[in-house]
Amino acid sequence: MADNKDNANPTILNASDLPSRRRDSIAKKREDGGTGLFDGLVPSYNYLSDPFEYPLSSSDSDEDSAEDIDEQEIYDLISSISDPEHPLSLGSLAVVNLPDIHILPPTSPHSSISTVVVEITPTITHCSLATVIGLGVRARLEQALPPRFRVDVRIKKGTHSTDEAVNKQLGDKERVAAALENGTLMNVLRKMLSTCE
Amino acid sequence: MSDIQLYLLEIEKNKKEASAIARQSATKLQNNQLKLVGLIQGLGEYINSEDGAIRAKTMLYLAEVLAAIPQKVFSLQQRNLLCDFILSRITDDTEGLGACTKGLLALEKLGKWDDERVGNIMETLLHNTHPLRQYKFQSERYPVLQLIDHLMAKYRDALRNLHDTTPDFMGRFISYFDGEKDPRNLMVVFSILRVPMTEWNIRGDAQELFDAVFNYFPITFRPPPDDPYGITAQDLKDRLRNCISSTPDFAPYAFPALLDKLDSTSINTKRDVLQTVTSCVTEYGSRTVSLYSVTLWDSLKYEILNTTEEDLAQEALSGLAAIASSLSQGATGPLNAYLRPVTKECNEHLEDAPTKQSEASGRILRKVAAVSAEVDNIIISSVLPNIFTLYQTADTMAKRRGLLEVLIQLLQANIEVYGEWRSVVSSGDQSAKNALAQLGDQALEILTNGLSSAAVKEVSFRLVCVNGLIQLSRVRQLLSDSDIGKVIQLLHDIVIHEESYGKDEIKEAAINGLVEIAHQKPQVVVDYAFPAFMAQLPDIDVAQSTAYIPVLEAFAKLGGEEKIFDRVILRLKNKLNSAVQQGATSKYIVALLSAMIYALNQGASRLKQESESSSYYNDIVLPLLSQASSSEVTYRQAFNDETTLDLVGRICNIIVRPQPLEVQNKVSAGLYTLFRRVSQTEVPPFSTKASAEDQKTMVVSTHLLAAFRKEAMLPCEVQVLLPSLVNFSQTPSLSNIVRAASLRQISLVVNKYIPTPSLKHLLQPVLQSPIDLLNSELLDPSRIRIIFALLKGLVLRNSTLLNTVYPCLLSFLSNPTYGKTVAYGFTTLLQPDDLLTKANHCQISGLHKQKSFALLVPDITSSIRESSTEIRPNYLIALSGILRWTPFEIAVQEVGQMVPLLLQSLDLKDEDIVKEAAIGTLTSILRECPKEIETHAGSLVSRLLNNAIVTHTHPSSTPCSSQSHSISATPAKLRAEALKCLALVPEMLRQETVLPYRRQVVKRLTGALDDRKRRVRSEAVRCRSGWLGLDEEDDE
Repeated sequence: MADNKDNANPTILNASDLPSRRRDSIAKKREDGGTGLFDGLVPSYNYLSDPFEYPLSSSDSDEDSAEDIDEQEIYDLISSISDPEHPLSLGSLAVVNLPDIHILPPTSPHSSISTVVVEITPTITHCSLATVIGLGVRARLEQALPPRFRVDVRIKKGTHSTDEAVNKQLGDKERVAAALENGTLMNVLRKMLSTCE
Repeated sequence: MSDIQLYLLEIEKNKKEASAIARQSATKLQNNQLKLVGLIQGLGEYINSEDGAIRAKTMLYLAEVLAAIPQKVFSLQQRNLLCDFILSRITDDTEGLGACTKGLLALEKLGKWDDERVGNIMETLLHNTHPLRQYKFQSERYPVLQLIDHLMAKYRDALRNLHDTTPDFMGRFISYFDGEKDPRNLMVVFSILRVPMTEWNIRGDAQELFDAVFNYFPITFRPPPDDPYGITAQDLKDRLRNCISSTPDFAPYAFPALLDKLDSTSINTKRDVLQTVTSCVTEYGSRTVSLYSVTLWDSLKYEILNTTEEDLAQEALSGLAAIASSLSQGATGPLNAYLRPVTKECNEHLEDAPTKQSEASGRILRKVAAVSAEVDNIIISSVLPNIFTLYQTADTMAKRRGLLEVLIQLLQANIEVYGEWRSVVSSGDQSAKNALAQLGDQALEILTNGLSSAAVKEVSFRLVCVNGLIQLSRVRQLLSDSDIGKVIQLLHDIVIHEESYGKDEIKEAAINGLVEIAHQKPQVVVDYAFPAFMAQLPDIDVAQSTAYIPVLEAFAKLGGEEKIFDRVILRLKNKLNSAVQQGATSKYIVALLSAMIYALNQGASRLKQESESSSYYNDIVLPLLSQASSSEVTYRQAFNDETTLDLVGRICNIIVRPQPLEVQNKVSAGLYTLFRRVSQTEVPPFSTKASAEDQKTMVVSTHLLAAFRKEAMLPCEVQVLLPSLVNFSQTPSLSNIVRAASLRQISLVVNKYIPTPSLKHLLQPVLQSPIDLLNSELLDPSRIRIIFALLKGLVLRNSTLLNTVYPCLLSFLSNPTYGKTVAYGFTTLLQPDDLLTKANHCQISGLHKQKSFALLVPDITSSIRESSTEIRPNYLIALSGILRWTPFEIAVQEVGQMVPLLLQSLDLKDEDIVKEAAIGTLTSILRECPKEIETHAGSLVSRLLNNAIVTHTHPSSTPCSSQSHSISATPAKLRAEALKCLALVPEMLRQETVLPYRRQVVKRLTGALDDRKRRVRSEAVRCRSGWLGLDEEDDE
């Protein structure tokens, strides 16, 4: 089985090196530079909390600030998809990379449609599964993004021997729809997406 | 009728009865009522019957009689006669073989046979019954095997002689068992054959003997469902493996055959092969293994380098290690010959690090190197220099990381073999000949440079460097103290000076590294890290800088190492003193106190040793108490803040808690005066006129009161203390914290210091007049607080007074003015508490939650149905307060009643805490007993959606628009919880129940996908893909 893989010995990125959001936000939150070691010393349900004083207190203080959908969020949605060949995520195989994700704002002020462009990098240039991976990314984003986003998934230029052909396939709405009717292919996609959180 | 006639009649109907008859005959023989000759003659008619079955049964009768005879009843001559008789039956009759061998086995137990007899029996069996498989019934063959097994066990020499003197014996013996299939019999066959394998000279017959057992490999037997014999596939595998690995003579056949089966696609077979290879390698001995070591390496490595199944890789690794272990018991030549290709290939894979195969090489080296000091030395000296060279020429950080990871594996193996500083390995200290000694400096240099020169954003690389340095510092007798000092310096530099980056993994690793090194070399850490840390802790903090926080965190963590705990505490205490003296901000003092608490909590076990803890009492508690209550300006300023005093109280609590009663009594005498020269009546809670400053001391005394044992002597009678506390806590001028502290003291007194018999009597003046808490006319917020404080103490000790207090409390819920306030109090009843704990010597009944739940919830649920719409929310709030802290196992009995109420509370407006609790309970119900909620699926789904999605309602577009035009704002946390719960619905409920809602849910969730908050969106994604997945399964 192992012999049939296109790339049996791929390079793997360490999880600590993958881009993640928590990195920035935690650093911002803890202005004192600590790790919060002492926060747990006094339990949250200590005797000082008075249920009679502020019964409506569950609302977060930062409720008003909106957090827009950004490239990192797109990355988080698709980096946990599994590679169809290896039990590894697309993120750790560097098939999807944060710098290759772009959100384009609506083209005109009347339109509310933004576009998400994702460029994927196959592990090797002749990877036969590039189309499947592209389809998986596309299917995931269409499930997970609100309808005001249009999804555009393509192979990064110069990283695949037949990138143009594959891009044509991925861009063709009807061919994508037809592909998603295919039972075997759907099973592969379902398995890939099953590792998404 | 004679015994044999009775026996033959009975044997078909009732085996037990038949055996009893045989035993009677045996007794008769013993008592001489029956002669042996008579017995045999009596058999004559039946033993010569035309009917084979009768002949067999007759022999069975004889066997049973013989089995029931005690020793010494028959003479040698009689036994010989009987033996000859039975053997003649075997020769002449094909029926009754099982019975005959049973008879022989019984005879043997009556007296030992001579070698000639044993040979004769064996030959008779082989000559007349070969091959055994011609007997169709397992029950016929089994006694034969048992007999042979018994002979093998008791007459080894006789049988070996037979083999040595009879040229064709072995062949006939082996083929005798051919074709056996029954697992019970096979177990015996394997154990029989193992004797010649291990003990006989089998040169010429080795292959035949090997094939006889290997034919059964791999065992695929699966016991039938209710297997009465209890033989598992594993039993068979173990016996078979023991046979295969029994003699090095098998090696030429075993290894090729096993490796051939390694190509199988079945994981079970492969696992079996790998385990068998390992045990062969272990048993065959170094000389044999040396012939096959390289062949084995070539096959086994594949399972690791191209691993598909983790457990197979583990088995293969064990196999490789077993080879090294076997060879290191022999000469060095073969060991080198084996390790050469191993290290060569691993070195090659390291060239393309980091890849799956370079990682696998690391694992191989780690496992093999840990086998022995000798192996480790060979591997270290042939791989480590290569790692260094590759490292120097590596062009990417990723490659360097991959190489260092292998270095760490080697270091770990080295520690396994040579031990660490704090513990010598069982084989003794051999550090003198550790090959790492020559290369340690170079490793140290690479790791040190790597860590200090890599950019901060190279997180994973630097993490590996830190780990490498820690491992290197652990190796016994390797680094000098000053080198370890340098490592410590690097680590504390990261902790102290480095800018925070990302998730701060590197800082955390550095701190943990310091703790680990403190484990190994406590004094070096004290010498190097302590001054550095102390230098970073100012006596007085300036200009808002909080740079000391990470330093304090790291320092407090070091307190976890037993050998330096004392010194950590001491330094923190000194630092606190100077900070207080020099007027540092309360923020800094709070941080120092927090660090002390953290360290003390970690060293809690040490505090239990009396001698130690009393010195902490004198050195820490007494000075802190006098400072906290002092009227000097410096101290007033430092301990002005209630949060600070709370921490002071907590420190005192940790130290006083384990003190003996006498000490606690001494502290108790100054509980409220805090050892000032004042009269107790002038201080709170006895005086309500105390200054705001003095009131704050209540915060400290609360923690002391919590620390005492039940038997401790309070500074005044409970009759006086309790009313004083009740009065004091109603003083309007109290700050929130002081009031909360006073109320907690009420709970503590009620829980700990009133014995059950006097409870009712002592609470009388509080609950009834003069204070009259339970009078609904006098209800006000501060009295409500006191009621719940009292209840808190009572609930935990499961007092019978609850039976009278709870009904009052429930009736208060319908109070038009204060009903809602009372309702909010219910959440405190079962909430965990940080002061009323077992550790604080409180009375805590294991069943208190059950009891309060049973006393309250049924009443609440029935009251809700009768209540008016204005009052109903009060009940729902109270219910949610209870459910919030009730384990689901307790709540489960009322689930049926509660579901409609919980759904109702999701309709409440502005009661987010209530809704949160309701969703929490609904989530548990979905998980644990989804059946209860099945009929409510529709209303559950729509209510969860309503709470999950922020709707911008336009007056005209939706029917429910009458409420508002604005954004309905449930908080983000609630929205996320609602989505989490909604995601469980398709998972837990039956498909046909949920399918009708799929369209609606999937459609409306697109709204949640566009939520303003990220965490809500991510829950929405998860939830939506769960619902989307619904009909996919349907398709299949």
